[in-house]
Amino acid sequence: MPHILLFTLTIAAISTLCIAPIALALAAWSWRAGTRGMVVDALGALPLVLPPTAVGFMLLEILSRRSPIGGFLERIGVQVLFTPKAVVLACAVMSFPLMFTAFRVAIETSDRRFFDVARTLGASPARAFVRVTLPLAWRGLLSGMILSFCRSLGEFGATILIAGNIPGRTQTLALAIYDRVQNGTEREALVLVAWVVGMAWVLVAISSVLIAQQRRRLAA
Amino acid sequence: MIEIDVRLPLAPFRLEVRCSLTANVTALVGRSGSGKTSLVESIAGLRRAQGRIVIDDTTLLDSDRGIDLPPESRGIGYVPQDAALFPHLRVAENIRFGGSGRERFDSLVEALELAPLLERASASLSGGERQRVALARALMTRPRLLLLDEPLASIDQPLRERILLYLRRVRDLGIPMIYVTHQPFEALALSSWCVVLRDGRVAADGPSRAVLADPAVAGNVENVFEVSDPHHDPALGITRVTTGGGLALVLPYDQVAEARFPLVVRISADDVVVFGEKPSAISSRNVFEGTVASLRASEGIVDLTVTTPEPLSVRITRAAAEDLSLVEGATIWLALRSRAFRIVG
Repeated sequence: MPHILLFTLTIAAISTLCIAPIALALAAWSWRAGTRGMVVDALGALPLVLPPTAVGFMLLEILSRRSPIGGFLERIGVQVLFTPKAVVLACAVMSFPLMFTAFRVAIETSDRRFFDVARTLGASPARAFVRVTLPLAWRGLLSGMILSFCRSLGEFGATILIAGNIPGRTQTLALAIYDRVQNGTEREALVLVAWVVGMAWVLVAISSVLIAQQRRRLAA
Repeated sequence: MIEIDVRLPLAPFRLEVRCSLTANVTALVGRSGSGKTSLVESIAGLRRAQGRIVIDDTTLLDSDRGIDLPPESRGIGYVPQDAALFPHLRVAENIRFGGSGRERFDSLVEALELAPLLERASASLSGGERQRVALARALMTRPRLLLLDEPLASIDQPLRERILLYLRRVRDLGIPMIYVTHQPFEALALSSWCVVLRDGRVAADGPSRAVLADPAVAGNVENVFEVSDPHHDPALGITRVTTGGGLALVLPYDQVAEARFPLVVRISADDVVVFGEKPSAISSRNVFEGTVASLRASEGIVDLTVTTPEPLSVRITRAAAEDLSLVEGATIWLALRSRAFRIVG
């Protein structure tokens, strides 16, 4: 059981770290783009409202050897489907909207005037963003990463479609609970549920504290 | 020389401003919502306006030629109304954000008396301290133009005095300034040229004293003097000072004893009493002989401009003007109550 826990935490951490730069870049672009950015906002939030199985099926199609991407990966010898890489991919895609939306809100609430004033002081948009907006938004950004991490801990639908439920290879906490319930070993399922509830509770509480701190700081 | 021809759609009107500024300090005066802040933000490049903005030989904006320099390339120092100090940086770091020149930093810290504040968190500063830090930060960029958006708004009297003193020091550095305010007397205290905005358009522009002497523009007409050379007489309760134009004034000692000079003071045109002949026994310490230079009557009110060593604006009722048979060129005496003077800063 500990290895399931460790595997799930590792997958969630890798997924969170992989999507953070992409979410940050897109959130920053969308923030600067104003109304044009709404297209990206909607696209970024899409996996949040789609059935996870629909997302899983799309990923399955994209990665199958019939598709150009799947075919290319096979030619260079990269196997994704039904490997831990597929688990990371499913977690990344499904948790991306939470991180992107949280980043967007964190940047938005960092008060654009500071960014504007930094530019009048000679800073390029990139420098003003890195030196002023990011430090003011870091609590909100960290909160978004935590929420995204939590979402990865519980990811099920897309994962089971593209990674399967292979014990010791692709089985995460959520899949293991499903497995235990199917096999009638409810006690084990209960222990796993307790773990995931405990972790998520602590992490979501930290995320809420960070958001409250950011609001307070900017209000001051 | 600053040429401005800016068009920007705003709700509920369209900002359309065309003016040429040559003065060292130009006041941009107008009521709240008249478009002042939008105009300075357009000049700073923070709003995408149409038109043309040229400072000396540098074109910042020329829509016809497709030129629209980003804010970081405009070389314009901007101090917003609330100073907008970066809350995550200490005071010294805020100032250095504008540039890294050591000598420049030291001289600004000295001129604006910032040394005791350098290690403080910017969130812990008072309103006046914030303005001084923001001013130093903007000046670190060696701007070709400084934009100050209502720097004295929401600052109480004792602090106003200090900020105005620092602003006069900045003015004396020779950096062109556009000073936004909704208070005509602030405009008179600092600027020699004035642009009045109303609903996004230039309602009047010209020398500050002339423009702001017009009651239609300024509402309440104020006489504003920069006074210096104080001689305190605590026993008599007075302080004798001299205006830049050579007018000797008497101010109440208790109100200016702690003030820093040169000091800007104001007295409303309503608080000046007119005599047809020299008053012999009067409590007012400020009595001047003058000549009526202009006389403008409207709705029971007569606004006079009187030539003394400094031109003075006076507002009396039409009845008083008729009783005194006032005409242009008439010699009159004016009395200014010492305690009617207000300190601007």
